[in-house]
Amino acid sequence: MKRLHLVLLTSLVALSCERIPQNPLITDPEESFITGDGVFILNEGNFTWGNGTISYYSYDSSKIYNDVFFRINERPLGDVPNSMVIHNEFAYIVVNNSGKIEVVRKNSLESVKGITGLISPRNIAVIDNSKAYVTSLFSDSLIVLDLKKNSVSGYINLRRSSESIVISGKKAFVANWYGGDEVLVINTDLDEVIDSIKVGREPESMVIDKNYTLWVLCNGGWARDYYAELVGINTQTFEIIKKYVFTSILDSPSNLSLNGSGDTLYYLEKGVRRMYINEQELPSDVFIKQRGYLAYKLGINPVNGDIFITNAVDYRQNGFVYIFNSRGDSLKAFRTGIIPGSMCFKVQPGSDIE
Amino acid sequence: MTNAGITCNHLNHLLLYGLLSVAFPLQGQDLLHQDTIRIKEVVINSRQIDSEFPGFRKTSIDPGLHAKLNSFSLAELLSVNSHSYIKSYGPGGLATASLRGTGASHTGVSWNGINIGNPMPGQTDFSLITAGLIDEVRISMGGASLDIGHGGIGGIINLETKPVWDRQTSVTINPSAGSFGNISVLTGLVAGNHSFTSVTKTHYSYGANNYPYLNTVIAPEPVRETRTNSRFLRKDLMQEFYLKRKRDVYSARFWYNSADRNLPGSILIQSGAAGEKQIDESLRGMLSFDSERDIGTGSITGAWVFNRLDYYNPRASIESMNTSNSFIIKGEFETKVIQGTSLKMMLNEELNVINSNNYKTSATGSILSLTLIAGRKAGSRLGTTLLVRETMDNKKLLIPDFSAGIEFRLFPTEEHFIRSGFSRTSKIPSMNDRYWYPGGNRNLKNEYAYMFDLGYRTNQKPAQSLRITSEAGLFRNIIRDMIQWRPGEFSYWTADNLNRVNTSGFESSVSLVYSQNTTGVKINAGYTYTRAVPAGSRTETQTANQLMYVPVNQANGSVMAEYRMFYCVWMANYTGRRYITVDNSGYLPGYALNSIILGARIHLRDNQFDAAFRIGNVFNSSYESIAYHPQPGRSYNLSLLYKFNKIRK
Repeated sequence: MKRLHLVLLTSLVALSCERIPQNPLITDPEESFITGDGVFILNEGNFTWGNGTISYYSYDSSKIYNDVFFRINERPLGDVPNSMVIHNEFAYIVVNNSGKIEVVRKNSLESVKGITGLISPRNIAVIDNSKAYVTSLFSDSLIVLDLKKNSVSGYINLRRSSESIVISGKKAFVANWYGGDEVLVINTDLDEVIDSIKVGREPESMVIDKNYTLWVLCNGGWARDYYAELVGINTQTFEIIKKYVFTSILDSPSNLSLNGSGDTLYYLEKGVRRMYINEQELPSDVFIKQRGYLAYKLGINPVNGDIFITNAVDYRQNGFVYIFNSRGDSLKAFRTGIIPGSMCFKVQPGSDIE
Repeated sequence: MTNAGITCNHLNHLLLYGLLSVAFPLQGQDLLHQDTIRIKEVVINSRQIDSEFPGFRKTSIDPGLHAKLNSFSLAELLSVNSHSYIKSYGPGGLATASLRGTGASHTGVSWNGINIGNPMPGQTDFSLITAGLIDEVRISMGGASLDIGHGGIGGIINLETKPVWDRQTSVTINPSAGSFGNISVLTGLVAGNHSFTSVTKTHYSYGANNYPYLNTVIAPEPVRETRTNSRFLRKDLMQEFYLKRKRDVYSARFWYNSADRNLPGSILIQSGAAGEKQIDESLRGMLSFDSERDIGTGSITGAWVFNRLDYYNPRASIESMNTSNSFIIKGEFETKVIQGTSLKMMLNEELNVINSNNYKTSATGSILSLTLIAGRKAGSRLGTTLLVRETMDNKKLLIPDFSAGIEFRLFPTEEHFIRSGFSRTSKIPSMNDRYWYPGGNRNLKNEYAYMFDLGYRTNQKPAQSLRITSEAGLFRNIIRDMIQWRPGEFSYWTADNLNRVNTSGFESSVSLVYSQNTTGVKINAGYTYTRAVPAGSRTETQTANQLMYVPVNQANGSVMAEYRMFYCVWMANYTGRRYITVDNSGYLPGYALNSIILGARIHLRDNQFDAAFRIGNVFNSSYESIAYHPQPGRSYNLSLLYKFNKIRK
């Protein structure tokens, strides 16, 4: 009997020994992959789980590299990276629920500085070499960044939350998406709100085409109490010059994007829809169909027109990015991080990818 | 005596074992645990199988450890002496328990057999339950939970409070203070006689919880930070009245609990910047009538459970206000059909009424179940049980749950038992799964599981002063129609019966008690191996990847030693690697925690003084239970107990 107990006790000790954890992060020796043309894919990760990452699709190698920020900086990026913009030699990664912007070198992703203490930052637009604006979901102010010092230089009180932002000349157009129905106009010299334009419910995404028309996609709100709308606005007079109302109350379009030549709009609505800017009605046909998945985000390569669609699968496991050419032909598919979201194109006009 | 299947010598041993098992753990500091345990009167006809539910596993938290951790939460107590895995956001923060690789919502919680889990999330926050208010914590693993009333796929943790039929007056006060601004006070008052008892317990605890930690993720270089926005305040009042009339017992129990907590958030987010806060309040009332007659025993209980949960996130402009009222009626009747064979019938009705600004309108849900249990303990070697339960979810009859178990004594005169059980149990979707707006799905089916148990246990006394009990077992659960929230076509998620999960594993525990004159030693050790893998679903392929936040390996151990008036307790628990990504590419490393309690106790007539000094996380381990939520390092706590206990003759 004593032996039996000895066996039980020994098994307890033996079984509770776990293999020594191996470092799960294997640094890829091919660290020069970021220097060429490619696309950064921001994998949002799960809200509050801190598992947001960045993937990089390299046109040079036709490969995808996952978790590149961690590989290079040996620390996690943060909670819900939402958007990224490249300006000169730097890239600015807006990490929404971490309340920060990571300033990194665009060709190595090496962190230069973290701008912290921001309230729910969402999207960033560079005004000039010394100034950028950052929208905020849960504050009523637009954040003004000093790009020389990489610090917050001020705030512009909008009295409402902000989401999408685009720049045209000396004007910034800021969408009041969350429960809102306005686009605010800001004088970027004065850092002041100079006007507001009433649009449809929840303006979610915006682009400015080659004719300087501001296109605003209003998704109608999640409760489906309003019809979605696509609105065209003259950026000089702020007048609504075009308005297309979606036919079904259940239509919930998102991710309005523009090609590099500024003449074709794309958005997600049960697949990818394509619409030339001078068309008189919304496209009835799906340009790229969803085949057994739910398209989450959309990106258009401004140089060669490649169409990138992300699939968040079940929002728990790693997602996918699907690449199509401008004709809608499927090119490649890659596994990304968790919840692949917005994309940032690091491409040079005149490069091989054209 | 011999004819009854038991010799005087054996009876003496049994009595000694019983005394040892009860008396030793009660040494040292105890607040409301009685010096004398009153157990139900039993007539020993033969040395039958003593399992409450043959074929399945039911365990209790060691009363000695329970007494030592009176002022701590049940989450902390379970982590040092059970097979449950506690997932905690930190001291005072949300803490859930999972058993056998199942989810937090699969662990039921009941108070004297009455479900007190919050029907909205369908899970219980164990950080809100103070260990010192409970007399005994019973854990029914897997299929063993079916005889409680509502069952749980992982199991049920039953919190028991019991009457003491003494003509006694007992007053207890137990203040304690420790690191990071933590203070607590427990008080108790017991008064009564042979037919009436009143038990009053109160608890107050406050923690600034401003512990330091090393943030290695927010900047290129590690930053020493202090946890902010992590304050908590908890209060409890429990009042129980018991009245005994011949063979009837009337009882009235009330338990008020409130908690006001700041939620510190992930360290990837600037600590405390969001200003999240949660207020919990619950009021539980229970009236019971228990009767023992020649024909059998019966009881009827009516209960009302009120829960309030308000969550505030000023940054996100969220004010979530939720209240639930649960009305429960439970009736039981048990009778002996023939010698060794019993039949039990149990009827349980639970009506939940929810008011929440997250629901479109107020919502109600009714669960009615009828359970029939047949048990047979034949001779001294065989025990069997068969259970069938029919449940009506609102007006819909479900596929019946069942269990069948068998326990067999290997040798006629030895305490070696093997057991095996097979069961099916189901879990009704939570009210949030059904009515949350948007995304709740009223057409959800119940989750269900087929569960298999196989185990061995032994109870030996190799020397006069030494007793060893041990248990080892295997389990396998096949869980289907698990509810998962998935992205829908619009900008919100919806609940669906998507997941299929298989869990299996091995559980073992050993307890050793040594007692000689003024010296006593008790050693507990437990180990759990759990594999939990997806079995394929509409969104997830079948893989060998371990489910997130289910540790493969878990172990705990404790040593309690006493010499004259001094005592010492060492507690250790190990939690293995927990994966934090579906593909198992990311994980939290395993960690071991050690705590020591050093104390002295003095008796002066009817007065007892007890002082204990506790060092928590002795080796200052840096660890996380949930990714990016650091736990405290080494901490100190001083506890003083005064108890006046007079039993009138």
